[in-house]
Amino acid sequence: MKSDQKLAASFRDPSGFLFRRGGKLYRQVNKIYQPNYDSLVKSGLFQKLTDAGMLIPHKEVQVEPEGPALAYCVLEPELVDFISYPYEWSFSQLKDAALLTLAIQKQALDTGLSLKDASAYNIQFQHGRPLLIDTLSFEIYKEGQPWVAYRQFCQHFLAPLALMALTDIRLSQLMRVYIDGIPLDLASKLLPGSSRLNFGLASHIHLHAQAQKRYADKGVSASQTSGRGVSKMGLLGLLDSLEGTVNGLKWLPSGTEWGDYYDSTNYSRSAFDDKSLAIKEFMARLQPKKVWDLGANTGFFSQIAAEQGALALAFDIDPAAVEKNYQDIKKRKETRNLPLLMDLTNPSPAIGWQNAERDSLSARGPADLVLALALVHHLAISNNVPLPMVAEYFSTIGRWLVVEFVPKDDTQVQRLLASREDIFDHYNADEFVQALSTYFELRETHPVKDSRRMLYLLENKTNG
Amino acid sequence: MAICTSAASHLIGIPLYLDPGSGSFLLQILLAALLGIAFAVKIYWKKIKALFTGKKEPAENIVAIESIKSPADASDEK
Repeated sequence: MKSDQKLAASFRDPSGFLFRRGGKLYRQVNKIYQPNYDSLVKSGLFQKLTDAGMLIPHKEVQVEPEGPALAYCVLEPELVDFISYPYEWSFSQLKDAALLTLAIQKQALDTGLSLKDASAYNIQFQHGRPLLIDTLSFEIYKEGQPWVAYRQFCQHFLAPLALMALTDIRLSQLMRVYIDGIPLDLASKLLPGSSRLNFGLASHIHLHAQAQKRYADKGVSASQTSGRGVSKMGLLGLLDSLEGTVNGLKWLPSGTEWGDYYDSTNYSRSAFDDKSLAIKEFMARLQPKKVWDLGANTGFFSQIAAEQGALALAFDIDPAAVEKNYQDIKKRKETRNLPLLMDLTNPSPAIGWQNAERDSLSARGPADLVLALALVHHLAISNNVPLPMVAEYFSTIGRWLVVEFVPKDDTQVQRLLASREDIFDHYNADEFVQALSTYFELRETHPVKDSRRMLYLLENKTNG
Repeated sequence: MAICTSAASHLIGIPLYLDPGSGSFLLQILLAALLGIAFAVKIYWKKIKALFTGKKEPAENIVAIESIKSPADASDEK
């Protein structure tokens, strides 16, 4: 295998690319991009944005470039703790990423630069906040120049946000299908008619879609533009309008008050406290750096992991739970939590060119520790996943596992069985432990006080 | 599309790696003309209001006003 590796996610932009060498991540800046890169640094914009936590910091390093013939210099960027994608973000995460992109573009214009792309994939969540990770996104701005990334911004941010807020929150998943953002004609078709009364949406989505259709495969002559471009004032007005439109989009789960969203567990306070204490003790003992909390709900147990110093990824299938978790984290200014939307029965696949541009969830692992609390019955009973397959999946994504088993006589499981025939003869604690033992060593069993639930601490056999 | 890209490139003066799209490009020119005026009115109105109310201008508007007053010609830096 080649020791140096060009990353499959960075091939479109001729300005440069990412590569790995000796376990480190580097970014080659190509000669073609030199004036833009120099301007980013000399204008002070790089310093300003990195100081404000808006752009990923890097250092210039004396490392042999991966493509020496094209190279201007090599950068070593700060590593992002966990790469996530827009189809895994809650509404407010995508909204914050959109607002960051616009804020950066405004600051860039102020220093004589402009963003040449506005891809949602260029934003990542680090230390609890969105961050632009593509240092090569800037170009020298020339008076009259339109915003080249206007269309991309509308497709990557505005269209999904509008669809999530006004049509259905689940439409964020269209981002998984359309890797360069949601086509505007599709967004226009799916949005409610009332969205045409919103000036921003009417112009940036509906009219935009019509303009695209009208001029598809047609060129633009100089007479159509009257030889003019876009004045700086016009550009600032456009950005102000986009910002206002994004800010005006809000989403609250229908019929749900946030207050009702706290875990409605069916077990006693003492059982809950006992479970929390046990988790805390496991975390303190193992000191995991990365914890994946599967079925995290609003992130109560992820928070315990984060408080112990871990980077805690809180995955949940419910967009409302992820949204609530993100808003709480923002309020508390947490830096070690990342809530993400994930359907574990169909986790994020590898997508894009050669299925290599965006990684699958598994490829972004393994975690030091997987937390699977009150989850297994959903997988085994609601989704008919046999217990040995549940155990196998856990073994592929984590070095350690803390898993809760909720027995059949628990009212939560009874609820799942209420509307269907009980075909789950094998669903019991003994068979579950047996299934786990194929892949894991059982290190501790903790019966949860005042309940019939069990917590197991297991170590992956491949660790040793 | 090739003509569009060359028209956009002509305005921008550099090769583009993203296709701005003909329709998006024309719409942007149209919208920017309208929104630019609205934005100018908005920030100058805020400035005038600030004169009378004595309220300080939010930092981001100052940035916008300053940048319009003295458009930085980044090409000089080359």
